Amino acid sequence: MKVMNENVELEIKLPKLRDIELVADKALEQMGSYFGIPYDKIGEARIIVNEAIINSLEHAGEENPFVHVKFIMTKEKLIILVSDKGKGFNPGEIESPDIKKKITSNNKRGWGLKLMKSMSDNLVIESGESGTKISIIKNLI
Amino acid sequence: MSAEFNLISELYDKVLVLKTEGYINNTGGEKIAGEFSKYSGIEKVILDLEKSKVVNSIGISYLIEVIEKLSQINGKMVFTNLDPAIEKTFKIMGIFQFAEKAGSVDEALK
Repeated sequence: MKVMNENVELEIKLPKLRDIELVADKALEQMGSYFGIPYDKIGEARIIVNEAIINSLEHAGEENPFVHVKFIMTKEKLIILVSDKGKGFNPGEIESPDIKKKITSNNKRGWGLKLMKSMSDNLVIESGESGTKISIIKNLI
Repeated sequence: MSAEFNLISELYDKVLVLKTEGYINNTGGEKIAGEFSKYSGIEKVILDLEKSKVVNSIGISYLIEVIEKLSQINGKMVFTNLDPAIEKTFKIMGIFQFAEKAGSVDEALK
């Protein structure tokens, strides 16, 4: 972890292991504590990060079963970058889930993107055949 | 690495109280759904999340499964001691259209 005057940056390469997202989750909690970020804001950031990592690990494939995660945190803002080298996906093709349909559907999953979008202040997905990069900004004040 | 998840269940007539501890991921969610399926005639499930501060959407999908089964018999799920970020997650997903929340297990039992 690189600590500067007003920034804390962290980069980690996570292998595809069960519950590995908790490594990033704990790091984020620690960084939030360092800056005294309000509990609810860091909690929302943790939800975003968990969903982003789970999503990327699902798409990472077996050839490159890793996800790169980078956090840049200030007192005011958190930038989250999550990338994988999987086959990519078209975010425009993902239907926004509706609880009224999901409650009776056999497939009750598919909430990750909706949660990431709703909890963040800006979200950009760049995805292609060589991988996917998710860039997220979460305001912390 | 894997997260530890514990579940305590208490039965009060037709009310099942489930107290979780730890990460509600696919494993945690599956344990909750599995515990619910052990009982018949349950009309209310109180899910106390006081000791669960981390969830993911895959874990929550199992909770939706329990909510679906309860709604088929006009039963309901009540969440208690929700962490603010988890409460916001449930709101975004629209879960409170089909489930309720209460401040404590005692309040939910009333």
